[in-house]
Amino acid sequence: MPDTTKFAGMGGDGFSDNSLQANVVLKSRYKILGVLGGGGMGTVYQARDLNFPDVRRLVAVKEMLNPNTDPALHSSTLKTFQREANILAALNHPAIPKIYDFFDQKDRVYLVQEFINGSDLEALISKTKELPIDKIVEWSIDLCDVINYLHTQPKPIVFRDLKPSNIMVDNFGKVRLIDFGIAKIFDSGVKKHTMIGTEGYCAPEQYKGDVTILSDIYSLGATLHHLMTRQDPRLAPPFSFPERPIQQFNPQAPDGLVAIIEKALAFEPPNRFQSCEEMKAELEKLRHQPQVIVMGDAGKGANIAGTDFFAGIEASGATEPKWKFQTEDEIRSSPTAYKDFAFVGSYDTNVYAVNLTTGAFAWKYATHGGIASSPVFDESNKLLLFGSEDNSFYALDYRNGRISWSYATQDRIRCTARIAHDHVFFGSDDGHLYALAAPNGRFRWKYPVGDPVRSRPFVTNEVIIFGTEIGEVFGLDLDGKRKWSYRTRRPINSSPYVDVNEGICYIGSNDNNVYALDASSGYSSLRFRTNGPVVSSPVVEGDLLFFGSTDGILYAINAQSFREKWKFTTEKPIVSSPVIHQGAIYFGGTDENFYCVDMYTGKERWKYKVNGPVTSTAFIANDVILFGSFDKTLYALPLVN
Amino acid sequence: MDLFRRLFSQSGSKPQEKPVVSELAKNREALSADTPIPMSRVLEPTPVAPSLADIIPPTAADGATRPLPPETIISSSNEHLTFGQSTDVGMVRSTNQDTVLSLFTTSRSDDQRPDFGLFIVADGMGGHHDGEKASALAGQVVAANVIANVYLPMLKGENDADRMPITEAMIAAVQKANADIITKVPEGGTTLTAVAIIGDLAYVVHVGDSRIYIVTKDGLEQITRDHSLVQRLVELDQLTPEEALNHHQKNVLYRALGQSDNVEVDALTRRLPPKSKVMLCSDGLWNLVSETEITQIILGYSNPQEACDKLVALANTHGGTDNITTIVLHIPG
Repeated sequence: MPDTTKFAGMGGDGFSDNSLQANVVLKSRYKILGVLGGGGMGTVYQARDLNFPDVRRLVAVKEMLNPNTDPALHSSTLKTFQREANILAALNHPAIPKIYDFFDQKDRVYLVQEFINGSDLEALISKTKELPIDKIVEWSIDLCDVINYLHTQPKPIVFRDLKPSNIMVDNFGKVRLIDFGIAKIFDSGVKKHTMIGTEGYCAPEQYKGDVTILSDIYSLGATLHHLMTRQDPRLAPPFSFPERPIQQFNPQAPDGLVAIIEKALAFEPPNRFQSCEEMKAELEKLRHQPQVIVMGDAGKGANIAGTDFFAGIEASGATEPKWKFQTEDEIRSSPTAYKDFAFVGSYDTNVYAVNLTTGAFAWKYATHGGIASSPVFDESNKLLLFGSEDNSFYALDYRNGRISWSYATQDRIRCTARIAHDHVFFGSDDGHLYALAAPNGRFRWKYPVGDPVRSRPFVTNEVIIFGTEIGEVFGLDLDGKRKWSYRTRRPINSSPYVDVNEGICYIGSNDNNVYALDASSGYSSLRFRTNGPVVSSPVVEGDLLFFGSTDGILYAINAQSFREKWKFTTEKPIVSSPVIHQGAIYFGGTDENFYCVDMYTGKERWKYKVNGPVTSTAFIANDVILFGSFDKTLYALPLVN
Repeated sequence: MDLFRRLFSQSGSKPQEKPVVSELAKNREALSADTPIPMSRVLEPTPVAPSLADIIPPTAADGATRPLPPETIISSSNEHLTFGQSTDVGMVRSTNQDTVLSLFTTSRSDDQRPDFGLFIVADGMGGHHDGEKASALAGQVVAANVIANVYLPMLKGENDADRMPITEAMIAAVQKANADIITKVPEGGTTLTAVAIIGDLAYVVHVGDSRIYIVTKDGLEQITRDHSLVQRLVELDQLTPEEALNHHQKNVLYRALGQSDNVEVDALTRRLPPKSKVMLCSDGLWNLVSETEITQIILGYSNPQEACDKLVALANTHGGTDNITTIVLHIPG
């Protein structure tokens, strides 16, 4: 096993260099036949017991070096060894090898025990592709039994070092515990040099010196976790089992068994099984039962089913809209609201204002083209701003829809505007990004990119960032001068999101990736690949980045590392951008559902079925969630937690 | 924003054919006035040229050759990063298994390339010289890959999705180093902590228990996380930091290069505050020099090399039980 030689306490301690040769006879009785293995603390030999000349009685001889050169310390260590060996010799359990003899010779001590013909579990894991689950359950029950035997001795014995390499499966398929902690007597425990690799199976409290029978339960859980997932805990951060859910690596794992292992691995000892007997009783429930039934009555697994159950009720009518408002064509863009009004653009060429509380029609403004961009509200000038496919950009008085100003570009406007620094920024299909004075629409500058701009610009104090139809991301100075550009491989419809504190810009591309760019230089630091174009605009909340993809999945990834935190799968592409409010994420699906998902777990809280795809991004105002659908309707759902 | 309004108010009301150029020209005019300087200006040369009298000492008028005035490592304008680097075998060990590498390029041109720096500390482990071989290989492979996949594209002005993003390229460089160590130094292992500094952004990759600190007037912050058993126990509230310092297993790492075929690499980016200091070091330093002492020394020396030398000397004074390595960076402000 060359790949494990660097683990702490796994060989390399120098015993192999002067191990006993074959045919050496110890104590005129044990004839060495060969080396069985080199444990961390010594060498184990196979030997023949010469007291039985007529039968070939095989024994295992464990040799340990007494490292103490100080005579007093040497003899006290030896006494400890003799005391422990006597305790072991008195044990009587089918899963514990018999101790036949022990003695010391010069600087070494020897323990003679029953030879077990078989293979340890660590070897078994590497030799096999898969171990049958019912076998693992049987071994677990037997292990609980033998550990319970140790724990219930008049002076309870804690095994301390339970792990696959200390568990043998003999030729009869029975488990046997082979390496009692006795060897630890001879280990000073101090690691002088930096070493790679940890024990991996030890309970957290053991490192503080608090070893109880509950530590053995943790180690048993760790061993079973390794058996089930085939993921070596010594190669992972210590105590990181919860980060490797068993069913993720072994979908066949029954819920009941998973729950038992997870309970054994509870970080705090009081949350574990309080005895091996208790754990054994739970394991026995799994035995002799078809797994379907096991899954049904598993206590832990029931939670998930419960969530789905409630989700079903919500979807079937528990959430009813406060009101709906019908337009004459598809609503592709997102609504907004101000004071008593909700505003929405429809592909029927109108922008509508309706009463936010009742949904009653207030006014509408007709353009000469469909409204594909979302209206935005300029609070300082009290204007509602939007572009139309009639090439013009409009500013309306929000109270009555009267036009304040308009500005004509050379092609359709499908880009939602951004208001910042008392200016309005938007792109046009005529290949320019425009900057106009917000109060009066006066032209300030335009920046030519040569391709349609449909990605909504993000404006900070230093930079204006937006994407183009050719797939380029631009960073402009506030005076419209190019600072940088970054080219992705496909068009960009997603709008950038800038984390202003960190100065990092997140943007999706039709090349399936979401990118993190330095907002000041445009250099990319990370990308996250989905299985479809990313049209949805990313949003950061805390340390998480959320966005939808046309692969139908809403992703939550760590904004720093781009590692996936969770994902939520829907039936059809997600185009709408997520909106976060009080720990919940709201977004629409083209599968004609509007979703509410828990921000931290990615579990569905509820969904609401409409009659058309929802590409519209939600807007939350007062106590309602507004969104439009291709079914021509603007919905106002009550905000419930 | 005031600046913005001023810039806009200077431009005409009618559409212009080449607004970009004209706005730029006005921008420069505006900036020579009393307007605040935006971020983009910081990297450009100062518009006001120093007078000749400032450059040539008056005594040079007689035409005699004279020694130049003494140079200091810190440029007085403080316009680019400066660094110091120091490594020492310590008082106990016979070999230095640490590897340290510093690379910094700065230029001033119309390209407006940001400055680029790469700083690496690797602490090797393993007998028979395997430790120093592993750390040397790690430093070499990481540097070569970061230069090829991050710095050269930047120098050539290539910025597009055909290139690996910076963090991805740095992680790939560390994984390449891991693979090379496994093949070429199978019995060796090493920690690897590297930071690439591009403009004011620090891209960090990290495996093991070497550390990076950011030091400002407000104090010291460790931005890397030790991949050690005791640190994990501290994070899980099972040990106090004091108990961890004296724990008998404090040298046990759960992650290092050369351990297994796949290594998980911590990566993070941090925007560096103006005038902040960055410090990289191996555990031979942080085990022996307290955070208070580190902060005092780093803030107390205007020359980063002096700070490095002082830190190493202090670790040796405290016993020098391990190899000691540090790099100190002064970020311009």
